[in-house]
Amino acid sequence: MSGLGNVVRAELFKVVRKRRTYVLAGLWWILLPALVLFVGRLIHVNLGGSFVDETGGIRLVVQEIASPYGIARLTLIGPAYASPTFYVIVVALLAALLVGEERGHAMWKTVLVAQPRRWAVMAGKVCVAMLALGGLMLGAGAAGALFGALGTTFLPTDWSGDWAGLAWLYAMQWAFCLAAVLFAFLMVFLFKNVALGVVTVFFLPALLEGLYTLYRATVGFEPVNRLNVLFQGLRLQQRLEAIPQYFFTSNLYAPARSPVGDVVRAVNTGGGEIPQDALGQLLGAGITLPHAAAVMAGYAVVFGALLFWRFSRQDVE
Amino acid sequence: MDHAIVARSLTKRYGRAAAVDDVTFEIEAGEIVGFLGPNGAGKTTTLRMLAGLVRPTRGSGEVLGERVPGDSLREVGTMIEEPSFYPYMTGRDNLRHAALLHGGVPGERVEEVLAFVKMEAASLKRVRAYSQGMRQRLALARALLWRPRVLLLDEPANGLDPVGIAEIRENLRAVAKEGVTVLVSSHNLAEIEKLVDRILAIEKGRLVFDGPLHRLLARAEMLTYRYALRASDPETLTRALRELGLSPERKDELVEVEVGAERADALVSELVRAGVEVIEARRESDDLEDAYLRLVQADARPA
Repeated sequence: MSGLGNVVRAELFKVVRKRRTYVLAGLWWILLPALVLFVGRLIHVNLGGSFVDETGGIRLVVQEIASPYGIARLTLIGPAYASPTFYVIVVALLAALLVGEERGHAMWKTVLVAQPRRWAVMAGKVCVAMLALGGLMLGAGAAGALFGALGTTFLPTDWSGDWAGLAWLYAMQWAFCLAAVLFAFLMVFLFKNVALGVVTVFFLPALLEGLYTLYRATVGFEPVNRLNVLFQGLRLQQRLEAIPQYFFTSNLYAPARSPVGDVVRAVNTGGGEIPQDALGQLLGAGITLPHAAAVMAGYAVVFGALLFWRFSRQDVE
Repeated sequence: MDHAIVARSLTKRYGRAAAVDDVTFEIEAGEIVGFLGPNGAGKTTTLRMLAGLVRPTRGSGEVLGERVPGDSLREVGTMIEEPSFYPYMTGRDNLRHAALLHGGVPGERVEEVLAFVKMEAASLKRVRAYSQGMRQRLALARALLWRPRVLLLDEPANGLDPVGIAEIRENLRAVAKEGVTVLVSSHNLAEIEKLVDRILAIEKGRLVFDGPLHRLLARAEMLTYRYALRASDPETLTRALRELGLSPERKDELVEVEVGAERADALVSELVRAGVEVIEARRESDDLEDAYLRLVQADARPA
């Protein structure tokens, strides 16, 4: 364990000396909450008391998005959207810093002489990536609350909200990102070109899932008639159609996207449930957190096993 | 005696090409051994295998009695090929990072090694601003950081000016006095000659010599020297050399000839006795580099 501890201390020493860490923190801690606060202010000033606010719904919308709780929740939700998502950007950049840089600066030979226990080196780097990600997420949540507190001085918002539930979702999202970290480390380690590794982390899962969706929409999975008994036994068609439940991205962001349903329900004056279609999945419907946790644990095991196996056998040239 | 470093049939193949082929040697604790060979001979690959960075295709390496890779590598310091650092960190921070990574290195040790390589002031600059010489010295400081019992050094004087080379040599001498086992490769053979007691020579992946420095020189003496001779009458000179049983080659005014080491010293006097007016006689210098090259060339000739 001492080897692991040494690597964690050394890599934290490195991470805090890298400007990239502070750029990410600035984007997540300041830019996103400030933008949300600005939008909340715009909504309040322009729509509050107008014809669209006949039922007083604007106050509710502003409370949902620009209160301390609302902004803290959006700093969890926001990075789970767009492509590549901010979570993946952070994870890929941490992988580039902790793994890609060793290749880029020919540092593996130095690192592995200073600490010859390879499992400790890689495990320490994974720990540091998770700690850095945790620090960034914690900071984002705290910054969101602080900006929301600032907003209470000029917006009709207060501190109410399910803070314990939100903290649990932050913790879950952080834990789910372990699979993304291992995937990013694996890609950046496998590709000799760090930039190519990072781009792969950004787009490969979404590309594979997009190709699947395209195939399913255009060709579809027909029942197989040959060897009918066997394929019926395997229930191949149903299994192929169930693949989206195991998609990397939709499961990875399940904790962060799950509050979106609450927001939509809260601001949806028409009421009703979120549909179970593709849009519904994007809004966090259809995948339960226990299911997503099991799927992400599976991904983490696979990516972790590949990463550690490859790293333990890799010649350092 | 304890062996600090052992290579047993170390072999590394990349596809069908053997970078290192069945290399075996033992180095006692406290020895300073020079590792000679032209570029691509397999020196760096051998050092990488001993440092646990490259897995041998066959054979094994041992450091301090333990098979590589193992915990004994924590007592090894290395400089392998071009020194590498995190360029955005200062020299001091690079050493602190390495010390943290290794563990068990007291904070003041960083200052000690910086003072040892005379880098205290420069260590506050970011490494990206360092010259080649500063990088080499910082790499040596890092290799010494955890007081290693074994040093594996690959071309430590590479790219240095004469002053830098002398400084590195002095530093290595000081380290060796403390009983550290040193295996140092270099293409600057004059530097090894002044530093080491024993030579390992490698050529095309195979070990072609393993022994004391003086034996390498003596072995080279048993080979041939090449002379470049000038005489008032080149024809007479050529004829006289043939009469002495040699095979001269005429190159304009010069006549070149290879002569066995046992009669090399007497060649000119023999020519004078044969009536040749010798104006100029140049013999290859007999430093380690020439000795090594002659050795390798002799071993490369078909039997």
